[in-house]
Amino acid sequence: MEKYFLFALLAIFALWYLSYSATRLDRLHHRVETSWANLDGLLQRRAAVALEIAKSELADPASSLLLTAAAHQARDAQMQTRSQAESGLSGALGLLLNDGHLVAGFIEKDLLRELSELTDKIRVAISLHVDAVTRTQMVRQKPVFKIFRLAGTAPLPVTYEFEADVL
Amino acid sequence: MTLKKLRIGLVCPYGWDTPGGVQNHVRDLAEYLIAKGHYVSVLAPVIDEEAIPNYVTSAGKPISIPYNGAVARVLFGPIAFARVRQWISNGKFDLLHLHEPAIPSISLLACWAAEGPLVGTFHAAAKRQKAIFAIGPILEPVIEKLTARIAVSEAARSTLTEHLETDAVVVPNGIYADRYRDGEVRPQWSGNTLGFIGRYEEPRKGLSVLLEALPIIARFAPDVRVLVAGPGESKDVQDQIDPQLRHRFEFLGRISEKDKADFLSSVALYIAPNTGGESFGIILAEALAGGAAVVASDIPAFDSLLGNGEYGALFQSENPQDLAKVVIDLLREDEKRRALAQRGKAYAQRFDWDVVAEDIFSIYEMALVGSDGVTLSSENRAWNRFLGREGN
Repeated sequence: MEKYFLFALLAIFALWYLSYSATRLDRLHHRVETSWANLDGLLQRRAAVALEIAKSELADPASSLLLTAAAHQARDAQMQTRSQAESGLSGALGLLLNDGHLVAGFIEKDLLRELSELTDKIRVAISLHVDAVTRTQMVRQKPVFKIFRLAGTAPLPVTYEFEADVL
Repeated sequence: MTLKKLRIGLVCPYGWDTPGGVQNHVRDLAEYLIAKGHYVSVLAPVIDEEAIPNYVTSAGKPISIPYNGAVARVLFGPIAFARVRQWISNGKFDLLHLHEPAIPSISLLACWAAEGPLVGTFHAAAKRQKAIFAIGPILEPVIEKLTARIAVSEAARSTLTEHLETDAVVVPNGIYADRYRDGEVRPQWSGNTLGFIGRYEEPRKGLSVLLEALPIIARFAPDVRVLVAGPGESKDVQDQIDPQLRHRFEFLGRISEKDKADFLSSVALYIAPNTGGESFGIILAEALAGGAAVVASDIPAFDSLLGNGEYGALFQSENPQDLAKVVIDLLREDEKRRALAQRGKAYAQRFDWDVVAEDIFSIYEMALVGSDGVTLSSENRAWNRFLGREGN
C-alpha cells in the first residue's frame, strides 16, 4: 500500500516538475520575443535618426549618400542579414561622427543627443536580448526539455552577432 | 524621461533599520523615484515598525544568519512568503525591483512568487564558493525570471557570471553628490590628517593596516594625525595602538551628513584600507565627491571604482609598507595631491543619483516592454490555465 502511495507522490511530483519546466521555458521564449521587439524598435528609431542626420547640415553629400543607403538597408533587412546591416549603419554613423568636425546648429545638436541616448539604450537592449537567447538555448539543451519536447513547435532562438563596441 | 507614472515595488532583503549599503541604496532610490512622481512601495524586514517611513511595508522581523563571512539580517519562511505574496497582489505594481535576489531572503521569495517585469540588482561580490554547486540548480530557474539584471560593479558582475552564468548590466550605486560638494574646511580636521570612515571594529575595514603603517608615516610627517569616524567601541581599538602613537588618533564616533561633507573637505587624505568583502565602495564615491584625495587598497572593487588609480591612489592590499609609501608620497607633494582630488571630484559626478537613477529607469522601461504589470505567478501556471482558472 505504502509503495503505491510513494509512486503516486512521485508521479505527482514529476507532473508538477514538467509543468513547472514548461512554464519556465514558456517564460523564456516570451522574453526572447519581447526583448527582440524592444531592440528592434530601438534600431528602427536609430535608422530614422540616421536618415534625419543624412538630410541635415551635419553630413556632406558623400557621407549623406552612404548614410542614407545604410539606413535603408538596416530598415529593409531580413532577419538573417539584419545584424550585418545594423553593423553597417553603425559603421557609417561612426565614420561621420568620429570625424571630429564642429556641430553648428541647434537641430543638429538635438539629433546627436538623441542618437547618443539611443545608442546607450541599444547597448543595454542588446545585452538583455543576447542574455535571453543564450539562456533559452541553454535550457533547451537540458535532457528534460529535449525528452519531453517541452519546447513544442517554438523555433530555437537565433543568436545575433551584434558588435556592441561598434555602436 | 517618460510622462507615464509607474507603480514600482522595491524589495530590500536586509533589515531596514540596520545600517548597510544595500539599505541606503534602496532608500535613496525609493526617495528619488517618489520625488519624480512615481508610486513606490518598499518591502523590507523591519525591527521597529513604529519608526519606518510610510513608503515601507514591513515583512516581519529579520533574523540573523551567517552569510558570506558576515552576519546578515534577513527574513524568510512561510509567514514571510505569505506577506510577500500579499504585498505583491495588493500593490498592483507595474514592475518589481529586487535587491540581492540570490541570497535566502524576501527578495528571493518575491522573485519566486511574482510574474511579470522583474529587475534584479546584484550588490555582493564574493569568491567562488563550493556551496553554489549545490544551490545553483535551485536558484537558476528563479533568477532566470528576472527580465533584466543589474550589477553594481564589475566585481559584482563577474561574481554573477561565475556563480549563475548570467550576465548583467553594470549600473553603479548612487550618491547625492551635491550634499558633499560644498563642505567647509574645518581647522581642527585639516593639516596633515588622514581620514577614515566606517565601522572600524570590523577587521575587513582594514584599520589595523593603517595602524601598522602609521609609525612609518610618522617618521616622515611628524605632525600626522588620524581621524576615525564611524560607530563602534573605540576603547578596544585604542588598546591595540602603540601608546606612543595614541595621541595621534582621534575617534569622532558617528558623524552627521553635514559633518561628513566637512570632514571630507578638510582631511589631507582619505584612507580606505579595506581588505576585502567590498563590492562597490560607496564611501569612496562620497569621498571623491567631497573633494578628498583618496588612497585605497587595490581590491577589485576599489581598483575599478578608482579607474585603476586614475582618480585615487592605490596601494597593495594588506601591505602597510606600501600604504605608508603612497601616503608619504602624497603628503609631500601638495600639487600632486590637489590634482588627484580635483580629478576625483569631477569623476564622482557620474555616481550622482541624477545619472544613476536615470540609468536604472531606462532599464525599467526596457523591462516594461510588452507587459501588463506584475501578478502572482501561480495565477499564470500552465495547469491553472488548463483548469480554466484564469488569473485576474
